[in-house]
Amino acid sequence: MIRIASCNVPLGPRSVARLVRAEFASFSRPLRVWLGVLTLLMLIGAAGAVRSVFFPGDKGLGTTATFEWGLLIIGYVFFAITTSGLCLASSLGTVFGIDRFKPLERRHAILAVLSLVTAFGIIAIDLHYPVRMVFGAVFHPSPSSPMWWMGVVYGFYLCVLLLEVWSMFAGHRRIHQAACTAAACTAIVAPATLGAVFGVMAARPYWHGLFTPPLMVASAFLSGTALLGVAFYFVHRLRLRSHERGTSHGIPAIRFLLAIGLVVVTILVGRQVVAGAVGGEPGLAEASAAVLTGPLAIPFWGGRVAAGLLVPLLLIAIPATRTPGGTFAASALAIGGVLVDRIIFVMAGQITPMTAVSGVVSAPYAGYLPSPVEIAVLVGAFALVAMAYTLAERYLDLGEKDVHAVSLRWLLRLSPVRRWRTSRPVPAEIRAAATTPAHRT
Amino acid sequence: MTTEPMTTEPTPPASPEDEPGVTFSLPPLPISRRTMLKLGATAIVGLGGSRYIFDSLSRIFAPPARATAVDPLVAAYEPAAHRWGFVVDTTRCIGCGLCVMACKQENNVPDDEEHTRTWIERHVVHADGGLTVQSPEAGINGFTAEGAARIDPGATAAYFVPRLCMQCEDSPCTGVCPVGATYRTPDGVILVDADRCIGCGYCLLACPYGARYLVPAGGRTPQGVAGVADKCTFCYHRIVRGEQPACVEVCPVQARLFGDLEDPDSVVSRIIGSGITTVMRPEQETHPRVHYIGLEREATA
Repeated sequence: MIRIASCNVPLGPRSVARLVRAEFASFSRPLRVWLGVLTLLMLIGAAGAVRSVFFPGDKGLGTTATFEWGLLIIGYVFFAITTSGLCLASSLGTVFGIDRFKPLERRHAILAVLSLVTAFGIIAIDLHYPVRMVFGAVFHPSPSSPMWWMGVVYGFYLCVLLLEVWSMFAGHRRIHQAACTAAACTAIVAPATLGAVFGVMAARPYWHGLFTPPLMVASAFLSGTALLGVAFYFVHRLRLRSHERGTSHGIPAIRFLLAIGLVVVTILVGRQVVAGAVGGEPGLAEASAAVLTGPLAIPFWGGRVAAGLLVPLLLIAIPATRTPGGTFAASALAIGGVLVDRIIFVMAGQITPMTAVSGVVSAPYAGYLPSPVEIAVLVGAFALVAMAYTLAERYLDLGEKDVHAVSLRWLLRLSPVRRWRTSRPVPAEIRAAATTPAHRT
Repeated sequence: MTTEPMTTEPTPPASPEDEPGVTFSLPPLPISRRTMLKLGATAIVGLGGSRYIFDSLSRIFAPPARATAVDPLVAAYEPAAHRWGFVVDTTRCIGCGLCVMACKQENNVPDDEEHTRTWIERHVVHADGGLTVQSPEAGINGFTAEGAARIDPGATAAYFVPRLCMQCEDSPCTGVCPVGATYRTPDGVILVDADRCIGCGYCLLACPYGARYLVPAGGRTPQGVAGVADKCTFCYHRIVRGEQPACVEVCPVQARLFGDLEDPDSVVSRIIGSGITTVMRPEQETHPRVHYIGLEREATA
């Protein structure tokens, strides 16, 4: 309790603790367990982060001189591209005003902010001197570096997303529309620059090339859409705000976008496999062999191709599994697939050693094993996003609101997706089915 | 926050008979002990944080190391008047490891084999065309019978290849650094500003020769800072004084040669001009300034 202008304001630590306790007591038991587990995982992640941050040069990472980018870079890339994917997936509703995609609007923005902040946190932990990065990028810009552009674009992206969230809740239609448009444009540029960070390195044939940025954008679209699929399943299942529209419009829209993302990524992964297997380029051939038949073969064929692409495609294609549950399973598998893909991508680029590793005769592949610190940080990052989003669902109104303008709707006249432009009434059978959890949509 | 009223009247001193040894007492502080502790803790954290931020910023805003890389004693050195080059003669190298040892001593490079500015490889070309590359302990102790594997009797060639930064004219490492911490001097040597490097590792991955490493903590640090990129500098602190790099100076068989490419009569200029040298990984189009004699096969392992 503090006294301001002869008024007692209940802002002391004890009163805050009392309020938190009272609020916690109002939680349901499953929610308490869920939050408790997340808190535990976040503490583990925080311990890893503290261990890493305060020891530059000895961060407790499993990376070596020959394998410099490890699990934290993988986590950063995953969360960064997922942010873009969230905006790409929802831009059809937020920018173009297509009715079917409007339910994604609020939840995507919250998830995007959380995902990007988490990505920044992970890269700050991975860098040895993150403060220098911020000031160095401003005062000693290096436009020849894709990493500098990536920092600029993602920094701008965070500002735009924060503006989007603020205007969304404050109800500023024009600002929100402008922010959504800027976010959608940045959502394409940002993963492209991230792809360029890898793509410009001629010394790493597996990363090098023009197809790396498109693959990164496609993976972004897929992971962002899939994350929305997971979120909307819980909206449907737990009957959160605006779950009716989420079930009738949101989940089918996600399924549609997920199918597009899966097909595009499958094509690009196929191109990568063929180019690596038959190209014969030194370095690329060895890295591709490591992915297709070497130490990364099981994660690639089992995790990336089968569980991450084929099974989700089947779940979406087969009528019997075109349910919210099926969409959830496809989304979860697609997210896992993208994460495995990022792991394979980052590892395959470094797995062919540049030079002899001391004491090893012609080491065919470089070795890397994530350290407990890296695993803890990544687990903590996932828990942080889940915790923040859970609290956002509880305390913020994430239901569908028509806060955006439709200034770009004229573009739809030129678009083949024009038929979704107008708001159509929900068919009676879908409305009825939306009230039962096990319905088909 | 609660505050206690300040006492304006001094407390009367206790009599020596009542409390032996106590002659006076201080007036109570105008703030409580708890508040005092809070303020103290805040001040300590604030000062510590401010110091950290100040240190970080002062490093960033300080004049870049490139302006002070030249020792004041050699102010007459004109970087733009030189173009340094290096020749490695693999037909002479005996793999003794003295160059590696000298480099580590001269530049305070970490002792371990993974973090090194220069190292020696033994390339063995087999009858089937396969290549075996070996570098036990970075070659610092030579290729003894205990430390190195025996050479395949059917091998068609075996030779030692000293490795170091290629000081490329079109260097990928300088282009990808997001904060300009890696830069090229006018005389063509690529250096790392340890006070600006953020330790992202991008330059390590962009280097086609694996010539860079991040300085680990807990050991020797070439520039006094751990967690930053490091690499061969041609012993820049020596060459600006007119001396040879340490590895060149200790080589007992003159397998490492260093000189000014601007001088047409220098040894390196004449050797490179004779056309008997090659460079590593020419397909990378980095145009290295380190040339090799007798490099039968590129060391791309």
